[in-house]
Amino acid sequence: MEIERETNEGNSRRIQVRFITKLKAPYKVPTTAIAIPSDLSRLGLSSIVNKLLQAVDSEWKTEPFDFLIDGELVRMSLEQFLLVKGISAEKILEIEYIRAVAPRKEEEPSPHDDWVSAVDGSSPRFILTGCYDSLGRIWKQAGWCTHILEGHSGAISSVRIINSEGAGSVTVATASKDRTLRLWKFDAEDSTDHPARIRAFKILRGHNASVHSIAAKTSGDMICSGSWDCTINLWRTNDTDTNGDAVSIKKRKVNNKIEESQSEGEAVSTLVGHTQCVSSVVWPQQDTIYSASWDHSVRKWDVETGKDLSDIFCGKALNCIDIGGEGLALIAAGGSDPVLRIWDPRKPGTSAPVFQFSSHSSWISACKWHNTSPLHLLSSSYDGKVMLWDLRTAWPVSIIDTHKDKVLCADWWKGDCVVSGGVDAQLRISSDISIQ
Amino acid sequence: MSHQESQKLDNVNPLETRVEDVIERGDNDFLDENHDQDEHSESYQSHQAVDESDSSEDEVAPRNTIGDVPLEWYKDEKHIGYDIAGRKITKKERRDKLDSFLASADDSKNWRKIYDEYNDEEVELTKEEIKHIRRLLKGKAPHAEFDPYAPYVDWFKWDDAKHPLSNAPEPKRRFIPSKWESKKVVEYVRAIRKGLIKFDQPKEEPRFYRLWGDDSSSADRTKHLAYIPPPKPKLPGHEESYNPSLEYIPTQEEINSYQLMYEEDRPKFIPKKFTSFRSIPAYENAIKDSFERCLDLYLCPRVRKKRINIDPESLKPKLPRRKDLRPYPSTCYLEYRGHEGAVLSISVEPSGQWIASGSKDGTVRIWEVETGRCLRVWEIGEAVQLVAWNPLPELPVLAASVGADVLILNTGFGNEEEQKRVKELLHIGTPTSDDSDDMSSFLSWIQDEKYDCIRLRHYRTVSSIEWHRKGDYLSTVMPAGESRAILIHQLSKRLTQRLPFKLHGLPVSSVFHPTRSIFFVATKKNVRVYDLLKQKLIKKLETQLREVSSIAVHPAGDNLIVGSKEGKLCWFDMDLSSKPYKTLKCHPKDITKVAFHRSYPLFASCSDDCTAYIFHGMVYADLNQNPLIVPLEILRGHTSYDGRGVMDCKFHPRQPWLFTAGADSSIKLYCH
Repeated sequence: MEIERETNEGNSRRIQVRFITKLKAPYKVPTTAIAIPSDLSRLGLSSIVNKLLQAVDSEWKTEPFDFLIDGELVRMSLEQFLLVKGISAEKILEIEYIRAVAPRKEEEPSPHDDWVSAVDGSSPRFILTGCYDSLGRIWKQAGWCTHILEGHSGAISSVRIINSEGAGSVTVATASKDRTLRLWKFDAEDSTDHPARIRAFKILRGHNASVHSIAAKTSGDMICSGSWDCTINLWRTNDTDTNGDAVSIKKRKVNNKIEESQSEGEAVSTLVGHTQCVSSVVWPQQDTIYSASWDHSVRKWDVETGKDLSDIFCGKALNCIDIGGEGLALIAAGGSDPVLRIWDPRKPGTSAPVFQFSSHSSWISACKWHNTSPLHLLSSSYDGKVMLWDLRTAWPVSIIDTHKDKVLCADWWKGDCVVSGGVDAQLRISSDISIQ
Repeated sequence: MSHQESQKLDNVNPLETRVEDVIERGDNDFLDENHDQDEHSESYQSHQAVDESDSSEDEVAPRNTIGDVPLEWYKDEKHIGYDIAGRKITKKERRDKLDSFLASADDSKNWRKIYDEYNDEEVELTKEEIKHIRRLLKGKAPHAEFDPYAPYVDWFKWDDAKHPLSNAPEPKRRFIPSKWESKKVVEYVRAIRKGLIKFDQPKEEPRFYRLWGDDSSSADRTKHLAYIPPPKPKLPGHEESYNPSLEYIPTQEEINSYQLMYEEDRPKFIPKKFTSFRSIPAYENAIKDSFERCLDLYLCPRVRKKRINIDPESLKPKLPRRKDLRPYPSTCYLEYRGHEGAVLSISVEPSGQWIASGSKDGTVRIWEVETGRCLRVWEIGEAVQLVAWNPLPELPVLAASVGADVLILNTGFGNEEEQKRVKELLHIGTPTSDDSDDMSSFLSWIQDEKYDCIRLRHYRTVSSIEWHRKGDYLSTVMPAGESRAILIHQLSKRLTQRLPFKLHGLPVSSVFHPTRSIFFVATKKNVRVYDLLKQKLIKKLETQLREVSSIAVHPAGDNLIVGSKEGKLCWFDMDLSSKPYKTLKCHPKDITKVAFHRSYPLFASCSDDCTAYIFHGMVYADLNQNPLIVPLEILRGHTSYDGRGVMDCKFHPRQPWLFTAGADSSIKLYCH
């Protein structure tokens, strides 16, 4: 009732609205229709909902909300929104509210010795980062490094967790500018205060130029890598025993404590077709690989035959690609311009992107879809920002601006955190992002 | 005499029909016998009369005073013209038909009287004249004494002329009227009767005429001479009226204020009010004004201005729109920071992954293009003038010039095999043995232990390094090197040759042809093109520039751009001429570098004015089509330092991107 009094003073028009939500109990407001001024934007609506919640529960802490009308996020004043969408203001308007997708907490930065070039947060138990000092690191949580992966002779360009299902042993892969990929195994559970140094159990040689990107098959028995020599190589990840005879060379290195064997592996097959550096690969399904390249194309490969099934030409050199959305159908890619593009290959006849997000001001270095939500994705850029996007609006839903310089990599972690690393040699974790 | 007579008859020509009538009549009735009777006597008399009339005609001026104007103008007037005293000359009373008939009945000589409308008088024809007319009507010669059938006198002498042109008798057909002509005539007659042939309608006379002619349009005047109408004098306005409205009359204060003005600014005429026409005095300047007007009219030359109405936009050359020429670099997204002095030179690795830079702070750096990470630094200790990456991807070595030395550095890229090869290549076991060679005093190959590289010690400062496309040869230019100014080194054999040509002028830069064994040397004024296999000069390109600073060859090899120190850029089409195909004056300051893109139709120039220009330079395979040059973009972003701006620019080998090295110690990457 306070609100009504407030709005009576203003001379703006008023709209009958009803707030609905799919959120659980503490976030529910009474579904009675109320009249609110039409010049309110998201902030105003959010404060109204908060006040309504406060009326129910006096202990209520203010919480940002986002509002959906007809499946579209409200990013302007209600009046404008209704005008643009051509919605009648006469009827009672149903506004759905969701918790705003924004980090509510900023964890301590995790310092590295050099630029953080790669990050993978696909395992909820730890974060894997790659660094320009040629070391890979495992972080249990912010600021707590448990393992250091040692062995590359060049900067690590990409890291990927292959399988983290096994209770103890976890396999990860790293790619480096020294033209090799290395596979590592460690026990994620053993955690000491002092980070344990591990050596790779397998070295994969075969690329003629620096390796740029790795992707792992969902089953975890194969990985693929894209390189500056314009090729994509497929590798087996299983232990040396199966084809150890063929691969021959075994090196024995005497470490301080344990004697470890390192085996070398060769590529199972090579996908040739790109004319320039393959900057990013993803392996979302059993037998298809998507790759993005500096030759301005996104290609879809069939793993069995090694043929490329379809091309999308973008016009810009691409740096990153990810597959996501409803039914893993949308291709998001960013590159040498500030536009994050999303294609829908199911759409016939056209290769124009279905979404273009252009709030960044420099090259896009990474883009990742959210694991569970088909609507959310993040992008990081050389302008030092990580942006969270919702397909229902053209503006970023949230901007994480904690890095001081270029952001080189970013990923989701545990479904509600964003991890990102950059030129300022910090791994930043922005947590408590609520995505249903 | 007969001539004069016929003239007179001509004058009376309009009256001929009437005369004919008269004569016909005379023929028919009473005058026949009369005529026959005194034929002889009359002929004599008429001779006399003609003589008389002839002489009298000379004396008597035409009575008509109106001049050569159509008589219809006076059709409705009582008078015709004016006499010398200004009185109207009244027309003779027009006798009506009855009177004239009566008169003809009375007067037996009336039939030979004719009314001369022009002079408004009656003329009586003499017997002689009638006879003339009669003969003419019969189709005979007017004079009776003329004998048309006089015997033929053959004046041609037949004695010597044995072969006359033609002695054949006239053929009969000459005397027979043409059958075809008569057929044609019949045809025409039929057509006229049926109305198929129409004759021109008689012109309708304009009812009104201009008494004083047409003076305004002067259409027929302009037909003849370049007539320019004089400027019209200003017409008097309200203020010149004798009784102007009050607002035109200046107040006393205004009149006083005129006194303070300069003589020239003072108004010439002060409006005044007069109560009546009578009180207006004579205009004192009347004579002066008209005199000046006359002077204006005949002294001021009048010139016809030829104004051409051309839309200035249409004079611009039709260029394609910039939008259609994408991609081209336009925005700076990445910057490579780390140098502490002006970056003098950059070079991009052939695959486009790395970029090397040499700086005034004495370092050579290698950067990762994608992220801007500095990967490697060599501290040379002296300003690095030039860096050049070997064009072979499998031979990752870098040439850098430091003062008089050229270092060939091992970048450490490439796999183990390549590294092994590079190390072998860059290792000189013993210093070059053949000291007898005269080259050795000017150039020596030294193993540099500190950087593990080859040091080519020249004896003068090196201003340009250029690799051959096969990666084995390296040319260096020493502007002060006189006859050994341009050297070509062979890396695998560690040999150095000098260019066996005499150069005219100081060499500035040199470049290898991208596909053939042709070598370009830019001196300060022109560019010389040599064939290295045949060892001869092919061409000399005259730049017409003050001082050439840089040169770049189109990847197809037939086109060349040259940048100059006065900011001009010349494009040479070598198939076209030895003169520049196009000269672009774009930079206000020195051009430091020009560059072609390897695959896109782009070229760029950078200058000390802190800008780089991007051009579209399309070369067509069709020899008839000239290259298309379109300016695309001005890239700004560098700041001036120590008077220098952008020192070097290089295109990315595969992307439409441009790297620029600035004196402000930064390297920028401009992307599309």
